[in-house]
Amino acid sequence: MKQMRKSTLEELGLGTVLDVFRNGKLPVDVEQAVTAVFGPPGDRGCMVISGANGVVGAGKLMQFAARLYPYGVPIVALDLAGAPDGIGKQFSGLRKAFGADQSAEIAKSIIQLNYDGKSLPSALKIYKPKFLLEAIPEKLELKKAHYALFRREYPDILIWSVTSGFPSEQLGVDIAHPAFPHEINKIFEIVEKKPGPTSALLWALGLIPVEVSDHWSFVLDVFFCGLMQASIRSSSMKNMPYWKTDKYIRKLVGPNPFRAHDAIGARGANFLTWSCLHHLYLQYGPLFEPVPELVERKDSGQNWYPPDHFRPLVNYSISDRERSELEDVVFGSLFQMTTIMLHERRASLPAMNAIGELCAQFTNGMLATLRNRGATAVLQTIERYHALHPEAAQTSWYPEELNRMSEVEWQQLYVNAEHDGKVGFIQISRESYNSDVDAELNRAMDWLLTQGIRRAILCGDFHLSTQMVGADTNEFFPALNEKSEGVRIAATWSATARRLHTDFDCTVGFINGKRCMGGMLELMMHCHYLFATDAVVLSMPEVTLPVVPGMEGCHWPFRKTNEAGRLQLAKMLLAGRPVKAAEALGWLVDRTGPQESLLGEAWNLVNGDESIATRRPFEHEALPPIRFGAIDGLDHSDAQLEQAREAIRTTIKEACGANLTDALRIQAEHSAAFMISALCHKGVVGAAWSKIASI
Amino acid sequence: MREVQTIFPEARIPYGTWGCSYFPAWQASPLAEVNIGQFAGEAMARIMALRKVQLQQLDYLVIGSTVPWHFKFWNATVVSMCSGRRIPGFHVEQACATGLQAILLAGAQVSSGASQSVGVLTFDRTSDSPVGVFPERRSYRRTEVISDVWDNFGFDPATGKAMLQSAGNIARKYGLSRQEVDELTAFRYEQYFQGRTSGFIQRCAVPLEILNAQGKPMGVVDEDKGVKPISLQSLRSMRELDSCVTSGTQTHAADGMATLLVTTRERAKTLSTRPEIDIRFVAKAEVRAGASCMPEAPALAVGQLLKNAGLSLADMAVVKDHNPFAVNDAVFARTFQYDWHKMNNNGCPLVWGHPQGPTLTRVVMEALEEAVDLGGGYVLVFGCAAGDVGIAALFKVDG
Repeated sequence: MKQMRKSTLEELGLGTVLDVFRNGKLPVDVEQAVTAVFGPPGDRGCMVISGANGVVGAGKLMQFAARLYPYGVPIVALDLAGAPDGIGKQFSGLRKAFGADQSAEIAKSIIQLNYDGKSLPSALKIYKPKFLLEAIPEKLELKKAHYALFRREYPDILIWSVTSGFPSEQLGVDIAHPAFPHEINKIFEIVEKKPGPTSALLWALGLIPVEVSDHWSFVLDVFFCGLMQASIRSSSMKNMPYWKTDKYIRKLVGPNPFRAHDAIGARGANFLTWSCLHHLYLQYGPLFEPVPELVERKDSGQNWYPPDHFRPLVNYSISDRERSELEDVVFGSLFQMTTIMLHERRASLPAMNAIGELCAQFTNGMLATLRNRGATAVLQTIERYHALHPEAAQTSWYPEELNRMSEVEWQQLYVNAEHDGKVGFIQISRESYNSDVDAELNRAMDWLLTQGIRRAILCGDFHLSTQMVGADTNEFFPALNEKSEGVRIAATWSATARRLHTDFDCTVGFINGKRCMGGMLELMMHCHYLFATDAVVLSMPEVTLPVVPGMEGCHWPFRKTNEAGRLQLAKMLLAGRPVKAAEALGWLVDRTGPQESLLGEAWNLVNGDESIATRRPFEHEALPPIRFGAIDGLDHSDAQLEQAREAIRTTIKEACGANLTDALRIQAEHSAAFMISALCHKGVVGAAWSKIASI
Repeated sequence: MREVQTIFPEARIPYGTWGCSYFPAWQASPLAEVNIGQFAGEAMARIMALRKVQLQQLDYLVIGSTVPWHFKFWNATVVSMCSGRRIPGFHVEQACATGLQAILLAGAQVSSGASQSVGVLTFDRTSDSPVGVFPERRSYRRTEVISDVWDNFGFDPATGKAMLQSAGNIARKYGLSRQEVDELTAFRYEQYFQGRTSGFIQRCAVPLEILNAQGKPMGVVDEDKGVKPISLQSLRSMRELDSCVTSGTQTHAADGMATLLVTTRERAKTLSTRPEIDIRFVAKAEVRAGASCMPEAPALAVGQLLKNAGLSLADMAVVKDHNPFAVNDAVFARTFQYDWHKMNNNGCPLVWGHPQGPTLTRVVMEALEEAVDLGGGYVLVFGCAAGDVGIAALFKVDG
């Protein structure tokens, strides 16, 4: 087997994506993983979460209880007697997510026990603790005593710390560092000597464990605390209020660090950020030294945003020069920190990049940002930053890491490819499609073709990407005021998608996970076959945003189906509502079923067994007119929605009424023209842009 | 060469580390509906950033205002919080002398060694005057209600007279003519509009965009709103409210803020964009004139100040005052046989308005700017305040 780069799934010891298809099953199923950790059915032990009333403990309690209760694993919520109730607050969210009945069932699997911190309650024995998730305060000696307490009574217990910036080496246990918000964020940075049953359990439960190295603090913390530090520094340099700095940071990087601290709870969040930076400062030097403003707020717990009665009065704008200084401080420090993490090989590059996006809300992963700027520009940014903050230059960093940008791991952060000499696999590990994905997808296809591979499966990576949500609408912002930019995006992305149809003999789009929408679905539908598991919902929600699909969604699938199918497709586009994969069988989806059987079928088909599914013929010429009047069930009460529908209807009519060559141009033109319309500007994309643009 | 005396030997005003909002006439701008203490704090951060001063470098804040504002009890601490810099400080209030007194107190704070860099921040909102309700057992109404701005203007509890009457009173005492006062006023307007045209005003005043409660822009305060050119002819046609006092020959209520730094000799060199310029505190005087004689009080204060300093008006490079009534300037000129055409270049409160607290702070910064343009020299700043008080201060600009 050959790979462009090692897949992140392999980092977990779960094999390759190719293995998944070849074996016709996932590397580990939940029952297997649960048994490996908690014992066989009928003799299952429990999971203990200590510090269960804390923000992290309570969040993880709900997350694990919801996933483990079907397997009869009790969850013991352990905390000091008299600890303020943090668990009760979580139930409303649980009910919202699972409904009254199911949430009541989940709650039944939670056992709350008190202890005094010195000895464990005798009642704990009944539940046979197998796995301790420690979420007690971040004090090294306290944690060590806690582990000793458990090991004394339960010598074989698996222990993970989930609230630590300390290295595993100091703690003496493995670490799973969860990302905020703890109830719903699936990412865990895992420190373990080698991938073990607990990280496999997390993966099987649908969570996203990411293997990282054993260093002070975590990748997410370095990124986010580093960003916070740089943001405070920028504010102070310009006397700029934090709320305003937040707006610039959001435009520049993605998150609102100050609002995030306040939302999490300034007292706790300020302390954690300070603690992370303080330990990094001791370890690495002045680059990380907590700024006085953070120290002050760590002690006081004061919010960063003004209270309601002091909602901002004076607007604050900065000159272009000041803006580029702010950019230098923010990116310069983040770039310098990133070279340190690269040098330490804290995680695989795709994983490190994904952590920034999935956990820190970066619009673009930090490594993708570095790569897009290029080594020279990155070095210049760091130098300018050092001119503004000379102390940072005293911290060792590693410019030579930037010289490796041409290596494939740098180049393929979002898209990987592998093949067995006959069949290729193109794996996308980003949930939304952007220009980075587009470029990497082209490189992956080029690589396979160079290797002589003409049959391929396009799929997710079975790890970082658990769904496919469509185009990254941030990419549309330049197109909101410049039609040619809209045409460029539509034409470029469509050209990439068409390669799946034209450059290969057989391609299968394989959709699993929760959903596949918009641009990602348009990409997938360019494959010769589209497979989707039962659980998947498919949708083209563009009309609700509104935008006009730009990757040929308004004509490509129409060319592969009959009149009835075309009406279904038109309805899907005009309604914007999701359909289950089975409902789309025949007119959009070629095969559906349970994941395990579908994996094998896709493997067999791409290996030449064309009896699995019939390849639907593709019409290159103009299609007969579509009878839009025959589409029922659309609600016509919303005038703006009707306008957006009309734009999409027109695009379908014109693109389907033309031959394939002309249709590409027509689709791109309509998509781009709509992007500059007042209607689009009033919608979701326009509103998101104006929030950023109107700083 | 005679050695320059200083009242605060260690204190300096670093050149250029100052600025103010424009002073829109009362009820004429978004400032009419803001918490002026909060506005001042936020505006100070903005202005100091434009002057390349990081607020982190300040360790004390002297604020000054005269009209009660929401949360005033928390005085300098809450205003500094609004600026983004949590430092101690105090509030000073001396009616219309506040803006100068605050600077002098900051000088004392630095010179005593108690602080290194003191922010002076003065502000007031005369629009929508707050109303105080005072239990007064001895009044026949038992409870007195006062609209802070207008009721105080209209009634000096020591004399029972309005401020405006003090101007008429002094005009009669000095035998001022309506013609002279009108001509002086017309000239003051010419001076202001020259200052605007030349860009002088814009060197101190900073446009500020105001946000509403939803965070949306509700307007930019970018002019001394309400100030329009006025001709001698129209001044002459105005109805006389008291001797020599018309609506044209007195100032108008306004809203605004002004800020300036006072620091040590050493730090002034690092904070200023022109470290070669040295600005020192030379002298200060305060007097109280007779009952209802407020407009002559400043002249009396200047007389005392010059005597103490051993200087004369001929030694002054810049003379500038807070002149709520044109009568003030006429009396000053008469007292010292001084040509009123030579003072108040580029504008004065008679024209650009009177938000009380910050008025004399703006006078000081404009006077210092003018002195720098002239290559340095003595700068005389003075003005009157409620209670028939006159205040005067002398600065020396070198470099």
